[in-house]
Amino acid sequence: AFPTAGVAGAAMAGSVRAVARRFLSEYGGGTAGRLKALDAFLLYVLLTGALQFGYCLGVGTFPFNSFLSGFISAVGSFILGVCLRIQINPQNKGEFQGISPERAFADFLFANTILHLVVINFVG
Amino acid sequence: YLSVGPRLRLEAALSFLLLLAGAQALVPSHRLAARDLARLRAVLERPFTDVRAAYYSIVGLSSLGVRVADEKAACKFIKSHVDSSSVESLFYAAQSIQALSGCEVTISNETRELLLAAVSEDSSVTQIFHAVGALSGFGLPLASQEALSALTARLSKEESVLTTIQALETASYLSQQADLSSIVEEIEDLVARLDDLGGVYLQFEEGIETTALFVAAAYKLSDHVGTEPAIKEDQVIQLMNAIFSKKNFETLSEAFSVARAAGSLSQNRFHLPVIVVPDGAAAVSHHQPVLRLQVTNVMSQLLTQVSVKLDQAKSVSSKATVLQHLPFTLSGDFFELNFMSVKPASGYYDFSISVDGDKRFIANKVELKVKVSTEVGITNVDLSTVDKDQSIAPKTTRVAYPAKAKGSFTADSHQNFALSFQLIDVNSGAELIPHQTFVRLHNQKTGQEVVFVAEPDSKNVYKFELDTSERKTEFDSASGTYTLYLIIGDATLENPILWNVADVVVTFPEEDAPSTVQSKNLFVPKPEIQHLFREPEKRPPTVVSNTFTALVLSPLLLLLILWIKIGANISNFSFAPSTIVFHMGHAAMLGLMYVYWTQLNMFQTLKYLAILGGITFLAGNRMLAQKAVKR
Repeated sequence: AFPTAGVAGAAMAGSVRAVARRFLSEYGGGTAGRLKALDAFLLYVLLTGALQFGYCLGVGTFPFNSFLSGFISAVGSFILGVCLRIQINPQNKGEFQGISPERAFADFLFANTILHLVVINFVG
Repeated sequence: YLSVGPRLRLEAALSFLLLLAGAQALVPSHRLAARDLARLRAVLERPFTDVRAAYYSIVGLSSLGVRVADEKAACKFIKSHVDSSSVESLFYAAQSIQALSGCEVTISNETRELLLAAVSEDSSVTQIFHAVGALSGFGLPLASQEALSALTARLSKEESVLTTIQALETASYLSQQADLSSIVEEIEDLVARLDDLGGVYLQFEEGIETTALFVAAAYKLSDHVGTEPAIKEDQVIQLMNAIFSKKNFETLSEAFSVARAAGSLSQNRFHLPVIVVPDGAAAVSHHQPVLRLQVTNVMSQLLTQVSVKLDQAKSVSSKATVLQHLPFTLSGDFFELNFMSVKPASGYYDFSISVDGDKRFIANKVELKVKVSTEVGITNVDLSTVDKDQSIAPKTTRVAYPAKAKGSFTADSHQNFALSFQLIDVNSGAELIPHQTFVRLHNQKTGQEVVFVAEPDSKNVYKFELDTSERKTEFDSASGTYTLYLIIGDATLENPILWNVADVVVTFPEEDAPSTVQSKNLFVPKPEIQHLFREPEKRPPTVVSNTFTALVLSPLLLLLILWIKIGANISNFSFAPSTIVFHMGHAAMLGLMYVYWTQLNMFQTLKYLAILGGITFLAGNRMLAQKAVKR
């Protein structure tokens, strides 16, 4: 059983890498540029939020309101970005008949304004 | 026990019921004592300033049974100061003239017409009251039935405590032939409106002046119609307590109202409160065996045509009845009873006393606490030094009060000092247990003093023992010669005792002796308390937080790189006005966020945001619509 496990493990590792490579190629080819730009933005927001959280875990929660404010800004922006991505994806056009991409973008801006109004109020 | 007959049992039951009745009835707590009367008279005897003041003074003093000093001058003052065109002024003049003797005045027809015209439904209750009072005071005829109907009609419109009281007094001037029962019923309604304060006082929320005027008016009307006022006995006492609790009279009208209330409560046909006043403190002793009481009315006028009886005298401590059904004898102004004739033991006794003689008496069953004092004698005083090992027999010295023992006694590590004595009642020979039996040891050199309590044993012999090893802490281990005093005291003793009995040399083992005797001074400044300010929160070092700030901004860099890699560009940027306005507006909104963080509050921000947001929205709408069209 021992040599089989090693081969299977190597095969598994290889299959994971193959899956990843396949995913990346499909993604690169099949996704519109606009969506890829949005995805980059989402990745940025994610990293920012994660770093904030890591700082809080490492150094302490003082001042707590500032941490919450920043973290919620990250989380909220991420969620709104995901909403926007879903709405402007041409593949989902069937489900969002009445909402044009422009309308979705306007909604995104409006919601972000309210979110950041609250965030700035709370950051202290 | 064998001879307890049914008659005695009935008497016991009756006296028990009497005691209960006495216990439930309220006792007056305030009255017009001589000093209060003098103060009241001083206020009322001030020189008149106007007719109203004259009315208050003259009628007030007459209620107290006092004549005005100079009646002729008063009469002249009223005649010269009355205003014949004012119903109120005429009322004051008429009532004052009625109270003065030998003061005559003639009333002109105009005045009479004015007064009669005022008695109508168009005048207020106060005006009707003044008019009726003036007509009655001047002795002028008055149509009682019409006045009554005008009064009742007016009263139903002006419903207040003061107007109702005025209506009561108005009705007392009207003839009895008119049916005054509707006004008499108002007394009961007014009593219901009184506020009960703690079960002791009863007064109107308008104040004591109103309450006093009510009492005067209610009894005046009741005497006039001959029906007992609807005021219960307890309520009369509570009213009394409230009215006579006022000892300082700021205004003349206050003094007037209290004087009238006092007058009506001491002279009416139905309720006469009596007050039983003991002579000095209610205490008897061998030197003063007689309990003396005075019986007065609310104005401190002596009532001697009454019979005062002791229903029961019970000892407070043993609850045994010592005396029953004994009358007091009248001697001059006082009612006396020789209590010491039954040889009571010293202590406190509850006396239940009843005053009879007039059906109108109220509060005539009182409870009085009487103290019986006696003198104490100390006997069998033995001072001894007891050997701890009990190898040597104790040396006992007997001392007689008030001599001091010769020689001194020692108390040290192998000898204890002991004191024993007995306390007896000098007059009866019974053993006494006073409240204070202290043994005080006073250090002659340092001024230190230590006090112990001597306790009685089962045979009522007081014992005190000084053991140096046990009592080290009380003495602070200070050896030396101490003077021993015996202190005997009690509320019922006439001769408290402070007796220097002996000198005691107390020696403590050397190692415990303090270097100096520190007097425990309680009044030195205490150590200062430093205020601990709130510690600020622990923060990470600035380096760490700065590093993290830079770190958090790094994903932005990554974003820009990714965007460039993806190929995002702004090549499609059209310079249409709406586009420019939109982007400027949006940038301004972001700038507003920064300014909000640093300076503004929410309200100001919302105001600016509304403006900027509106512009941005319109421009953005236009821009996106154009974009959609292009697509």
